Amino acid sequence: MVERLSDTVLKGNFMKGLKAEIRATMKILMPRDLGEAMKKSGVTTIDAAASYNSLDNIYIEDDVNLVDVESDGEGILSEDPECPYISDIETENKGQDNGERAALSESNKNIHLEIVEQKGKLDMLLEKVPKFSKYLESRRAELQKSESEEIDSDEDGDTNYSNGVSSNEGMRLHDRRAINSHTIDVWCWLVVEQPEGPALPNLLHTFQAACRYGFDSDESHLHEILDEKVFSKVLMFILCEADGIFRKWLGVSDSCRKDSFLKFMNTSEWKLVRPLMKSYLRSCLLLLNQVTDGQILVFILSRLRSSIVFFAAFPSLTELLIKISVHLWVTGEESLSLSSFLVVREIASMLLSDWYDTCMMKTYKAFIAHSKFFEHGNLKKVEFLMNSIVELYSLDLQRSYQHVFASLQHLANILSQTMKAKKKEELKKIHNWQYINCVSLWVKFIDCNLKDHDLQPLLSLSILIIKGIAHLFPSLRYLPLRFRCVQMLNQLSLSSGVFIPVASLVLDFLEHKGCTADATRVKAFDFSTVLKVPKHLLKSRNFQEECILSAIELLSAHFSQWRYHISFPELATIPLVLFKRFHEKLSNETLRRQVKRFIDQVEQNKEYIERKRAEISFSPNDHAAIDSFLQMEKSGSNCSFNQYYASVQQKSHSRSALR
Amino acid sequence: MGKKKKVILPPQLPPDIPDEEIEVSEEDLDFVNKNIEYAGFLSKLDTNLINRHVTRVADYKEDELEALYEKKKKKASLKKSKEEEGLQVDRVDALPIKTLEGELCYRTVESNIAHKENGSASEVKDTDSDKGLVKLTKAQRRQKLKKSKKEAKRQAKEEVKETVAEGLHSDVLAKVEEELSAQDLFARKKIKLAEVGMALLEDPESNIKSLKELLHICIDEDHNIIKLGLMSLLAVFKDIIPGYRIRLPTEKELEMKVSKDVQKTRFYESTLLNSYKAYLLKLMAFEKDLSFHCIAVRCMCILLDAVPHFNFRENLVAAVVRNISSSDDVVRKLCCETIRSVFTNEGKHGGLVTFEAVRLIAELVKAHDCQLHPDSIEVFLSLVFDEDLGKSEPKEEKKEKISKKKKRKQRLEQSNQLLVSEGKRRKHELMTKTREELSADLKSVSFAPDSDERRRTQSEILSAVFGTYFRILKHCMNTSFQRPMMNDISSSIGLGHHPLLGPCLMGLGKFSHLIDLDFMGDLMHCLKKLAGHSDSDNDNPSVSLTVSEKLQCCIVAFRVMRNNLDALNVDLQEFYVQLYNLLLEYRPFRDRGDVLAEALKTMLWEGKQHDMQRAAAFVKRLATFALSFGSSEGMAALVTLKYLLLRNSKCRNLLENDPGGGSLSGLVVKYNADATDPHLSGALASVLWELSLLSKHYNPSISGMASSISSMASMNPLQTQAYLSTVSPLKAFEDLTIERELLKAVNRKSSFNKKGKRGSEFVIMDAEKVRSLESEMDEDVIERKFEEHFIVLRDIEENEKLRLELNKTTSALRLYEEYKQHRKLKQKRKQKKQIGG
Repeated sequence: MVERLSDTVLKGNFMKGLKAEIRATMKILMPRDLGEAMKKSGVTTIDAAASYNSLDNIYIEDDVNLVDVESDGEGILSEDPECPYISDIETENKGQDNGERAALSESNKNIHLEIVEQKGKLDMLLEKVPKFSKYLESRRAELQKSESEEIDSDEDGDTNYSNGVSSNEGMRLHDRRAINSHTIDVWCWLVVEQPEGPALPNLLHTFQAACRYGFDSDESHLHEILDEKVFSKVLMFILCEADGIFRKWLGVSDSCRKDSFLKFMNTSEWKLVRPLMKSYLRSCLLLLNQVTDGQILVFILSRLRSSIVFFAAFPSLTELLIKISVHLWVTGEESLSLSSFLVVREIASMLLSDWYDTCMMKTYKAFIAHSKFFEHGNLKKVEFLMNSIVELYSLDLQRSYQHVFASLQHLANILSQTMKAKKKEELKKIHNWQYINCVSLWVKFIDCNLKDHDLQPLLSLSILIIKGIAHLFPSLRYLPLRFRCVQMLNQLSLSSGVFIPVASLVLDFLEHKGCTADATRVKAFDFSTVLKVPKHLLKSRNFQEECILSAIELLSAHFSQWRYHISFPELATIPLVLFKRFHEKLSNETLRRQVKRFIDQVEQNKEYIERKRAEISFSPNDHAAIDSFLQMEKSGSNCSFNQYYASVQQKSHSRSALR
Repeated sequence: MGKKKKVILPPQLPPDIPDEEIEVSEEDLDFVNKNIEYAGFLSKLDTNLINRHVTRVADYKEDELEALYEKKKKKASLKKSKEEEGLQVDRVDALPIKTLEGELCYRTVESNIAHKENGSASEVKDTDSDKGLVKLTKAQRRQKLKKSKKEAKRQAKEEVKETVAEGLHSDVLAKVEEELSAQDLFARKKIKLAEVGMALLEDPESNIKSLKELLHICIDEDHNIIKLGLMSLLAVFKDIIPGYRIRLPTEKELEMKVSKDVQKTRFYESTLLNSYKAYLLKLMAFEKDLSFHCIAVRCMCILLDAVPHFNFRENLVAAVVRNISSSDDVVRKLCCETIRSVFTNEGKHGGLVTFEAVRLIAELVKAHDCQLHPDSIEVFLSLVFDEDLGKSEPKEEKKEKISKKKKRKQRLEQSNQLLVSEGKRRKHELMTKTREELSADLKSVSFAPDSDERRRTQSEILSAVFGTYFRILKHCMNTSFQRPMMNDISSSIGLGHHPLLGPCLMGLGKFSHLIDLDFMGDLMHCLKKLAGHSDSDNDNPSVSLTVSEKLQCCIVAFRVMRNNLDALNVDLQEFYVQLYNLLLEYRPFRDRGDVLAEALKTMLWEGKQHDMQRAAAFVKRLATFALSFGSSEGMAALVTLKYLLLRNSKCRNLLENDPGGGSLSGLVVKYNADATDPHLSGALASVLWELSLLSKHYNPSISGMASSISSMASMNPLQTQAYLSTVSPLKAFEDLTIERELLKAVNRKSSFNKKGKRGSEFVIMDAEKVRSLESEMDEDVIERKFEEHFIVLRDIEENEKLRLELNKTTSALRLYEEYKQHRKLKQKRKQKKQIGG
């Protein structure tokens, strides 16, 4: 009972809200258009009369239209040739109207002039030599014949292209209804007033025509869109309102999910709505495919997003939508990418059972294909793609878990094959961005979901893979790659609370021996966009600095995680010993200072823990006591080591920003 | 009759001759008595047979003999069938050629081919069998054959097409002929090689002269022919070289009158030997030629592997050893393999070649100042030293043999004595003399030398091997203390700075039980210095030893000590200090983890009871070590740590936080992690806090181990041995290597256990940003964009339409031109008609 009640209440509210919205838009739309129409002197009265005429007629032809729709099984809106549209004979030359628009129309003009000239010549000839006109006609007829045959064989009934298009053209043009903005206004008003009414099919039909405009064979449509106003009005109205209209008609609430929507598919209204809805959705997809402007795409996508639940009824359209939006997600720029991802996410969450797997697979594949390169330009993009996938996969871990596990296993498999072979070509399979990005993607995923879920197998598998990568590329040339690996390990350790020893991976960085006193400084080089340091940099001072500073950065991250752990002094022992030795040999003064600072900070923290440790009396096997050791201090942020770590991080950020 | 049978030995003589021989020995006796002047020949004959027997069957016991025979038979039949198979397969290749030749009508042109091929199947067969022998170039040759086939086909086609206009094509054909002639030459040479080779294999006795012919073929301009020739010769020699060493008859013997058969055999042997010598000389010469280097070395390796007992083996060994450190991987591997097989199959040559090889390698090392490829020393590891040499078994064998020989001798003598008459006394003397000679020959040729001799050889081998090892150690020491003057050749080749040290230490470890006690002190001194040398004394760190090498030194020192338990009393304390410090130097990717685990095992695990200070220091260090290093190294450390704690109950105090450090802390009251001497670290005063962090380790086996160790605190101090775990550090290390873990992980299945579902809020993305995207939408802008979009579309459409229109009009204008012409024509016709009319 309660559920039903709330549902109806919601519906009522929704309808009210919708109406208000539509009214508002109508108010905005009407006066402006009318005013514009008024400007066109002379035509106004005819227009008005025509529009009035059409109003009456629409009611009459409605029934026919609906019958047609009902009979139409697959939802392509039926054409009704008898439709009494406003036969507005607006034969104004379009070229003249907005002549200065663009270069294209400029060239159109030129061509037009040329045509006039040529035609003049032809006319003269025809006048001069009357026999030629006969000859011409006969030749043309021949040509037409052969042409139409060609078309026939070419298109094979692919479209409803009619034979002898050009010969019939004149006739057909007369047949088609030109729609002016007043017709649209009236229709819109009608639709708002009565969604079930007959205006909707007409509007949708126009919408379809608009969506196909310029790409499809216009001739197959009976509606001709005369000017840009009509075009944009139809598109805007339908895109903005169609969702609301359909919902209102079917009585589907905004928060309706797939299963409850499927219930509506048994109602009697559904039969009426289905073809219209399909036409709407399909036209939207068409438009998505054809428009290139980012903002328009974002708009269409955001409108479609609210109607995702309707797609439940049309699997083939859903697949198309996923395909299109994944493509836009991968290739589009920022906001477009985001909004197309939101569509994918909406599909995944709304139509979870049917399309979640597809979405996951498609996005992952697209990501892999797109992450081959990792340059300064697309750092953000790849980052965003990663975040999106994490977002998508986190929707329902129950189902995504196997995907993640399988793809991690796949990565592990590649790695273990490579370890066996250890050939140069094989190694390339690992040290490329594709592989590394995939690994960091899953690390991110685990990082995000570890708190709420038990992902132990994923965690250990990914740690293993990362360690394996580091193991496979011990050389300092792969410093950036190793840096990334250690970073990921630190991240995993931080989010999971398990201990991952990274010191041994980092201490290698201090082994840099290529640098001598005369090492030159090359101009700034961004190590974060490569996996392998180019050879000419190996002996540069930059590289030496990079080695040491990354070692300090990574180790401080590692230490800062365990800074209050009871065994911090032991953890720091070996790194400290080695850093001290290294410090003695170091000649570069600035680096020396930084190393010294690091050593001091670590020792300070070490002494602090040792002091605290002297006060306690429990033994190492008392886990509970150890866990509570220094917990109080941990929550406070005024730890000197923490501050130090923050400064290190900041420095590294500013370093990377400098490049 | 029997005599003849034996003289002309068929190549595949069944090895059960010995039985026969024993049976007929009485016949022989009679024969000898009758034709005493042929005794020399007889002795010769006997030698052959016995040698054959000895070489083929000497190493097998009676009951194995049968199996061996069967095996050999099988092998032979297999070989035969293989050959047949080859024939069949090749015939498919070969026959079409023939048929093609037959189809070709113009014999005048192809006469040389036709003549050569002669349509005889036997020759084709020869070619094929040659192919069987020269496997290397088979593919090549087949390709060539195919090529010629194609050519022929093409010709045939041409021929069929234009048989009528034959005369016209004569010059074209001449050209083709020219092209073919080079190929023909090659093919003919190949066939010649094959023919000769086959004949030799079929009946080596009568065709032995052809060896020279073969050798002659090898002098050619065509490299391929030379290679083919070398390979064919190799195959021939491999097959016909007898199982004994040929001793050329002395002058005295030559003077003696001998039978025809003996003469023949002598001739056979000397020819064989001479051509073999010539062949080897050729190989040695080719070895210096770059383009033939590889094939020459390959031939020599195969020969050494196949006939290490035969004459000139010294030269072979020398040549192979010369190339053992070749920079060419293929050549080096080949040589190493050959030397290894020489070492392992001592039965073939009785250890003499082994000694020769070892000696030569030792000289090589000396000559190159230890800058060789490690492979060249690594072969020593395959040496087999018989430790119970000269004890029970070999002696018995020998006894048996002697007794057999004696019996026969006795019998012979007895019978001789019986038949002795005054007139034949001289002959008898001669005979005994010959017999002595024979037995001496027998001994020199026999490959189962008595144990004394073997022991002698073995000790010589050992001293050569260890000499080499010491040389390497000394060299390492010298170069690491005094800077090497030369800029190492080895580093330019890409080897390490002490390329031979690794295999040398391995060898020392392996043969440590055989080291002479006199050497021991010296050796330990060397090892100590090598292990203790740290790069802090030296500016150039590349000269010093790597951590793995130092660890290996420690391991070897301990091994040596253990294997000679009470023989020496050397203080190993310094090695412990080294290990204690090396644990800090260790880098998982640069150094070998298995060596580290091995060191832990040999030094801490298997050693004697450690004193408390040392044990505690190592316990502490190992725990700290595990905190910084990967799981496999960490596990090895933890396993050792646990073992140490079990063995030293007092060290278990480390597990408890005992304020004041307890009475055990001894000299040093406070733990000092930086101390380099385990005894001075004061580890007894520390607490193993590491375990608490280790129990949070991501790897479950490490965290489990850490927890189990920390629970040992409550263990009864008296129960110790009961808990000794069986997993050694090495095993623990290997179990947790990344490769192995990855493999395990790849095959693991996992399922997700539910733990609550999340709502639809964003996990990682900024929800605010998403919302702002929504609000950003400006409908007016969109509307305008739509309008623009429309206009563009319309313009495009318009453009298309206008273009169409334009095309139409222009084409119409063009049609007018056509029309004009058309009319002109018509008019002309009309005019013509009019004129005609």
